[in-house]
Amino acid sequence: MFILETKPKEELEKLLKPGVCVIKCIGCREISLPEEKIEELLKNLELDAKDVLAVDYLCNADFTKSRLLKYKSEIDKCNSILVFSCGVGLQVLAGMLEEKSAVQGLNTIYISGRGLAPSDYDCDQCGECLLNLTGGICPVTQCSKGLLNGPCGGAKNGKCEISKDLDCAWEKIYKKLEASGRLDSYFRKMKVRDYSKALAKPKQPV
Amino acid sequence: MVEIKKTGLKPKEEIIELLEGKNKIFVIACNKCYKEYTDETNEELDQFLKLMQENGKNVVGTARIDFLCNGQTAGKKISEFKNMDEAETICVVSCGIGAQTTMATLDGKPVYTVSDSLSIADNATTPQAYHGICIFGQKCAACGQCYLNFTGGICPIVECSKSLINGPCGGAKNGKCEISKEHDCAWEKIYERLSKQNRVQDFIFLQVNVNDFSKPTVEQTNALIKAVRDKRDENFYGGLHPYSNKDSTTDLPITAFPEPETVAILLSQHTGRICEPLVKAGEKVKYGQKIGEAGAPVSAPVHSSVSGEVIAVEPLLHPALKKEVPAIIIKSDGKNTPHESIVPNDPEKLPAEKLLEIIREKGIVGLGGAMFPTHIKLKPPKPVDILMINGCECEPYLTADERVIIERTEKVFSGIHIIAKILQVKKVYFAVEDHSQKAIAKIRDYIMQNPMEEDLSLVELKTKYPQGAERMLIKKITGREVPRGGLPFEVGVVVSNVGTCAAVSDAVREGMPLVKRVITVAGENIGKPGNYEVKIGTSVKDIIAYCSGSLSGFDFISYVLKMGGPMMGVQQQTLDVPVIKGTSGIVVFKKADIEQDIARQCIQCGRCVDVCPMELSPLHFIFCAKQEKWENTAAYNVKDCIECGCCDYICPSKLPIVEIVKKAKQKIK
Ligand code: SF4
Ligand code: SF4
Ligand code: SF4
Ligand code: SF4
Ligand code: SF4
Ligand code: SF4
Repeated sequence: MFILETKPKEELEKLLKPGVCVIKCIGCREISLPEEKIEELLKNLELDAKDVLAVDYLCNADFTKSRLLKYKSEIDKCNSILVFSCGVGLQVLAGMLEEKSAVQGLNTIYISGRGLAPSDYDCDQCGECLLNLTGGICPVTQCSKGLLNGPCGGAKNGKCEISKDLDCAWEKIYKKLEASGRLDSYFRKMKVRDYSKALAKPKQPV
Repeated sequence: MVEIKKTGLKPKEEIIELLEGKNKIFVIACNKCYKEYTDETNEELDQFLKLMQENGKNVVGTARIDFLCNGQTAGKKISEFKNMDEAETICVVSCGIGAQTTMATLDGKPVYTVSDSLSIADNATTPQAYHGICIFGQKCAACGQCYLNFTGGICPIVECSKSLINGPCGGAKNGKCEISKEHDCAWEKIYERLSKQNRVQDFIFLQVNVNDFSKPTVEQTNALIKAVRDKRDENFYGGLHPYSNKDSTTDLPITAFPEPETVAILLSQHTGRICEPLVKAGEKVKYGQKIGEAGAPVSAPVHSSVSGEVIAVEPLLHPALKKEVPAIIIKSDGKNTPHESIVPNDPEKLPAEKLLEIIREKGIVGLGGAMFPTHIKLKPPKPVDILMINGCECEPYLTADERVIIERTEKVFSGIHIIAKILQVKKVYFAVEDHSQKAIAKIRDYIMQNPMEEDLSLVELKTKYPQGAERMLIKKITGREVPRGGLPFEVGVVVSNVGTCAAVSDAVREGMPLVKRVITVAGENIGKPGNYEVKIGTSVKDIIAYCSGSLSGFDFISYVLKMGGPMMGVQQQTLDVPVIKGTSGIVVFKKADIEQDIARQCIQCGRCVDVCPMELSPLHFIFCAKQEKWENTAAYNVKDCIECGCCDYICPSKLPIVEIVKKAKQKIK
């Protein structure tokens, strides 16, 4: 579902005051938690990996509350808390420890919408799904510029100009529509994207 | 937990226009994720069907699928639907990921989505806001350079409507963002949080890195995604990588556990009919003497593991069945005087029928844990062509099988040879996980030096739990799929555990019945962890007393004791239970460490579906149980559950799924 990476040691050194309590969220370990890198980082920071408090699902406020009680003495004693979790986990924890500084040891670098393993597909919840017009290929997430009205013109040999690793989404869309005889939807009139829809409140059940 | 909705139907007009002139519609709807599992309705689907009816459209079929986004499980289900061929148009009700997956799966058909993905965030500037397992409001946009350290744990990328990273824009009024009165100014919140921590000065003088939008690069992300996916997809669908915790015992050689003073031989140590006792209180018995006779074909006799005197035949709590079963209690005289029936045989000179008879008579059962009588397994109703030796000790902590391979290689191979002879198979696979490199090296050397009659291949498998489950092994190695509810012989395979092979060799070559086995004792407060050869019937109390130095350190208030491994082992309520033939280990945990916490509502996160190696949808068991509709669990194939515990392990709502499965299996028996 997401990918995490350790922050550089230099960035953390400045923030940690002596007396560090380390919390590691293992809730998403099955997906991504750079455990070896974390160990290495702790060693470089001269922290003892043995004292790490492993908790799961920091993102669940109820759990975090109970874990904070469980480890109250360790947390009261320490001067900084070093947290290894995704961005959500630390925000939940920091919200409960208003007066202590919680230091994030990881960068969250990728989030995809589903399950344990990252999916081949992604969705940005644009609120006006275009898949019917684009042969099932999402232009919002697969085109690196999120263009809705056709290719930017920068693709070379079917690859996006930002990276040879990335197929041009619009070339794929064209080919797919051509193959399924639906090119008319390619040459359609285009609506501009209504960004306020992406921010819409969830519709209440009727 | 907030009830969230990820999908809404497209506007009516858009749907009508889209389906203009199209008929024979088949609808695929996702049961949807991240909401409390409280009922089985699907509003969007109902709304859509109503709309179709109002407009005189012919709907030829509907299908509701759990987690349409899971290409592996959903793909299979989609292809199973009837009426699909009849359909001319397929409509999907799900979020965009589910729609894309369906469109890619049904490449040859026109598939349309009739829904829009909604942002569940009412105040996020980024649409990527449905992250995290539990939705409590906090979000992360995966900027790749987390700023939380400077902002007191409030994300400026998500919470500030302009994603500013260097302080407020100046447009806020009364603490509210200028885009909406509903939206708090993120920077005002950040300021307040930092003031509480006396960190405002730090922030003011901080030089903030500008948001580097090239981070992470496509190459980097793709490589990481590939690594994560490859690891998840290794060997079989689902499964987990729990911490192995094998270090404390992996290098400890097998040692004989001190002779017990008394043993309790349970009369049921196998799948099948309970044995009839052959001895009475007061009788003298010898080491290896048969003391319980199998009264049915599917059963196995039991033998005395000591010489001495029977002091009672009385009911005793069974560690696996969790109910009282008659047991023969024997006081040892410490001499281990062997019984006359222990006579060696030469397997080369005996026909298969005779070998099977010995295996039955010596009470051999599967030592992997299931305790299925070996003589039945080795006489499959139809011929098999492959024998698979299971050396995958995928349970954390346990190292007994590994030590048996390393130290008793010859015995194991002799057992393999005997079993292959009985089954008349020529092809043998020996499967070991790659964490046991020492065992692998040992097998390799042995095969090199001792050419075998059979064609034996050593298969080294990537470590993943539950690799040792028969189904997973067979699928991975032979590509054959054991039918749901079926047994391995149906696809021509017999699987045998390494310990069982060694026991078969002992029974045949030495005439030794199954009266002792190797178990791993490890975990918290175990001062002398190890791989011990223990007499069957030894009390767990003796073992804990010996391995932790004394009994005073152990209590059921602070500790949890499991017989077997941590994943599939059975939690015990008392130390007064004996070791049985299927005991692979005794593991002790601190209760605080493994406490399941309180079970919560299922949030339909789909993780249990992602890890279930049997490709079941465990969340439905919970729902059926809650409604007390146990009979419904059958439709979700509860009988196929191998109780591996993966779903329990991963469930972020801490739901006791395996417990429910066990109950369901009993209720629908
Ligand atoms: S806090 Fe983040 S890393 Fe931890 S379980 Fe929740 S989503 Fe996963
Ligand atoms: S077009 Fe919009 S709703 Fe459809 S998949 Fe892409 S981001 Fe999601
Ligand atoms: S993310 Fe998957 S499970 Fe959730 S609504 Fe979309 S398709 Fe369904
Ligand atoms: S700053 Fe916000 S978006 Fe960036 S990683 Fe941290 S929590 Fe996620
Ligand atoms: S893992 Fe738990 S919360 Fe998630 S769907 Fe399964 S049962 Fe529900
Ligand atoms: S215990 Fe059963 S339902 Fe749960 S993951 Fe294992 S096989 Fe699937």
